Amino acid sequence: MADVELTPKFAPFFGMGGIAFAMIFGCMGAAYGTAKSGIGIAGVGVFRPDLIMKSLIPVVMSGIIAVYALVIAVLIAGDMAPPPGQHYSLFTGFMHLACGLSVGLTGLAAGYAIGVVGDMGVRSYMQQSRIFVGMVLILIFGEVLGLYGYITQHHAIQACCEG
Amino acid sequence: MTTRRTAAQTAIPDTDNGSSSSGNIISPRASEKSNITPAVPSSVIAKLLGFTFAMITLPISTYFLSLNTLFSGNSTWAGASAAIMANVVLLSYVVVAFRDDQSERAEMMEQEKKAR
Repeated sequence: MADVELTPKFAPFFGMGGIAFAMIFGCMGAAYGTAKSGIGIAGVGVFRPDLIMKSLIPVVMSGIIAVYALVIAVLIAGDMAPPPGQHYSLFTGFMHLACGLSVGLTGLAAGYAIGVVGDMGVRSYMQQSRIFVGMVLILIFGEVLGLYGYITQHHAIQACCEG
Repeated sequence: MTTRRTAAQTAIPDTDNGSSSSGNIISPRASEKSNITPAVPSSVIAKLLGFTFAMITLPISTYFLSLNTLFSGNSTWAGASAAIMANVVLLSYVVVAFRDDQSERAEMMEQEKKAR
């Protein structure tokens, strides 16, 4: 085979690493966002129970971060197959690793931002209801960090890897 | 453990003659039923369960369903639709939360009007 050098046996290690990093870091970010904003919601709910439904918005946004990581992990896993069926090149392995790492770490960053802003935002919303729009805008901008990671890596997987 | 309690204090008091007939919130009479209505109305729980189910299933199922049917194997658009669906769930949650707030406010204003 002419291209045995380009498809070494250890290439799937990097692809699997990409899948793992995507899910691991994405869920770490989503977990931090959920937990930190959950602390704020528990604090707000004691004094103003009517605000609880609105205060759950940071938690839903953290869930979306995990969904981005999930879709990229599924996409990468769908491209991989064991050796007799597919010759997995080192190029594809590195690309998958990069995709998984970047979507996972951008998800971690976005989840951290959503958690911190969600916590302080809902506590301040309890006292000043006009903060709500500002809080949601900041949350959306934090969420968009994860979305950028998702979009660029999704595009990278499609554009660079035809088979 | 550091304070010594006497037997009279530790014994659970039997029904007093004074208050057993009336009962109160903390210790109602044996024949009265205590208030076990849930603190959260079931409509709220139904909404939360619905959104949880939607967030878990909708994005990933749109990805797999639209992959072969709508986009004929081109997973770029399928992934984009999964991200869009996740944001749709978020948006619908925000809308429901706002409507919940407004309907609660309308109820409170009606109750205030009736009280006057």
